Amino acid sequence: MELDDYKIAVDAWLDAEADALAPEYEGIGTLGQQLSQLNKVRRLTYDADWARLGWPERVGGLGGSNLLRAYLGEALTARDLVEAGLYSMPEFLVPTMLGHAPPALAAEMVPRVLRGDETWCQGFSEPGTGSNLAALTCRATPTDGGWEVSGQKVWTSLAQFAQRCVLLTRTGPPESAHRGITAFFVDMDSPGISVRPIETMHGVEEFCEVFFDGVVVPEDRLLGEVDHGWSIAMDLLPYERSTALWQRAAYLQRRLDQLVRAAPAGRLDEFDVGAVTELLWAFRARSRATQHRLAAGEHLGAETSVDKVLIASAEQAIFDLVADALARDVVLGDDAASGLWRAEYMYAQAATIYGGSAEIQRNVIARRVLELGDDR
Amino acid sequence: METTELALFTRGVRDAAASATGAELDAALGDLGWHDALAADDRAAVSVLFECQGAANVTSSALDRVLGGALGLAADPRSAPVVLPALGEVAPPGAVSGGHLLVRGLALGAVTSHPHAVVVAPAGNGDYEAVAVPLSALTVRAVDGLDPELGLHEVSGDVQTAAGPSLGRLDWEGAVALGQLALGYELLGAGRTMLELARQHALDRVQFGRPIGSFQAVRHRLAESLVALEAAAALLDAAWEDPATYAAMAKSFTGRQVRVAARHCQQVLAGIGFTTEHPFHRFLRRTIVLDQLLGAGTALTRRLGADVLATGSLPPAFAL
Repeated sequence: MELDDYKIAVDAWLDAEADALAPEYEGIGTLGQQLSQLNKVRRLTYDADWARLGWPERVGGLGGSNLLRAYLGEALTARDLVEAGLYSMPEFLVPTMLGHAPPALAAEMVPRVLRGDETWCQGFSEPGTGSNLAALTCRATPTDGGWEVSGQKVWTSLAQFAQRCVLLTRTGPPESAHRGITAFFVDMDSPGISVRPIETMHGVEEFCEVFFDGVVVPEDRLLGEVDHGWSIAMDLLPYERSTALWQRAAYLQRRLDQLVRAAPAGRLDEFDVGAVTELLWAFRARSRATQHRLAAGEHLGAETSVDKVLIASAEQAIFDLVADALARDVVLGDDAASGLWRAEYMYAQAATIYGGSAEIQRNVIARRVLELGDDR
Repeated sequence: METTELALFTRGVRDAAASATGAELDAALGDLGWHDALAADDRAAVSVLFECQGAANVTSSALDRVLGGALGLAADPRSAPVVLPALGEVAPPGAVSGGHLLVRGLALGAVTSHPHAVVVAPAGNGDYEAVAVPLSALTVRAVDGLDPELGLHEVSGDVQTAAGPSLGRLDWEGAVALGQLALGYELLGAGRTMLELARQHALDRVQFGRPIGSFQAVRHRLAESLVALEAAAALLDAAWEDPATYAAMAKSFTGRQVRVAARHCQQVLAGIGFTTEHPFHRFLRRTIVLDQLLGAGTALTRRLGADVLATGSLPPAFAL
């Protein structure tokens, strides 16, 4: 299906199914409510085929360009039907499965997450391994018919809801750094896994600590080759900085639009509004070009860090205006709408921290795009 | 243009801008068929030339051709130059009052080599008209100012409206939009060269026994500069979709981004970049001046914000 036809058909379908798709709660809702809403929307869009277009047929998709699913994400977030961050998780976990999982495993599992039957999480960061991912220590050792995993992950979004986890483990010696890492696809109901949610400052238990105590992972859950997990992580990150960000920008545009309409007269400075509009439009121009490069079969790499730096700047600039122009709602409001503005303002503070901090993105740009050589 | 044709055209223009400036560059552009390209594919002609022109810190009368072409005047390289608005302004340089045409504007270096200059003035009801005014009727002052090498002139005068032939009604706003895109690319080119100068310096300059480009404080300034410039490049490229809507914001955004990059690059270049022995200052000068042509950057941004607040609606989104 061509993109232009797809857009018209999706928009018409979203209009027709607006009641069925609408959330059953006001404001930000609880995380459980957001996830139920997300899975409902996934099921409806999957069963109507929209969410299958843009993914390959061997994992339950119907083929077609990545632009199709990019548009679906844009349309759903722009209508506030899904939370943009939660929605975009498969955008980087599914390509990992496509590239590195045994074909039968990918064919069995991917449709479940695309249809909203399952939630997946990404076990990368550890207490001692934030920006320095290659220092991870969660260990996998060979055992009969598979591997035994022991260690700890943290900042694992949605782990308390997830059925599966894309997990990075240490299989080489401690000093092997990026050369001794292996990736697995782990069932979260395996004996030995325990999960402790952490409450963020915007009041949501979005991520967790995950403890692995002698967890047995079958051999057929290996992703890629033993000791080659680093390349899986590196392949995943540009996806985290491409389609997911296109969707996030659609959400930011909706909030900026709502801010302009909601702000009391005189509370928004003309220059500030113009500057933030220019920045967000520049990001969307950049992100659109990235989507088209992906569609043309180009390999996305370090240059996607530019996209990530830009959207984080745009998000914080928009919510700085929110905190000022809608100060009464953000500071004093106890209604659902105020709660949403407040939570989203707080969440924007993390935009330069998650998914590779602003500093890591600049390191990547300096080393790999500007080719400035080693940093020591 | 097709990909191969565009690559060839780009190489030709880049080589020309690297080796000639002013009237010589105009002649070289004529040989390259740039004027025909402008008529056939204004996007390619404008984006390629002006980025190269900014990157090489050279001048040409191409902006006159861009404005003249968009105004429906002859795209002939020998046709009269177009008087630009006064510094920081978007409004045309002419104003008709009581049978007089008052002129207050700027012009490129080529203005003195032609017997006429085109002056646009509002004609009521949102229309504009253009008059070819004899140069002898105008006061033309060569500007040294911040960027003497740009060859800018200040043009003023109070002439009888019958002094020159009326060139009829025309699309001033459309011409300004195209001119803003041209200036945006020229700013971008200047920014890219400033970054390359700073990057090379960071690789070459050794302190504390290592190249300063190995220090994170320096690397982050350069990364920040690249992000600023890539954002501007993306918005400029997307602005071609509808210059009437996006050109002004692309130009003001680019001006601001290039100034951000300039500040970082100046800091990385440090002492040597503060001297006239290093070329950096030429690019900084050019940036500050270009940011003020066809609408001051800050004023254009403020006008965008005012429009958004007045209408309660944002510009149309870029569609996938």
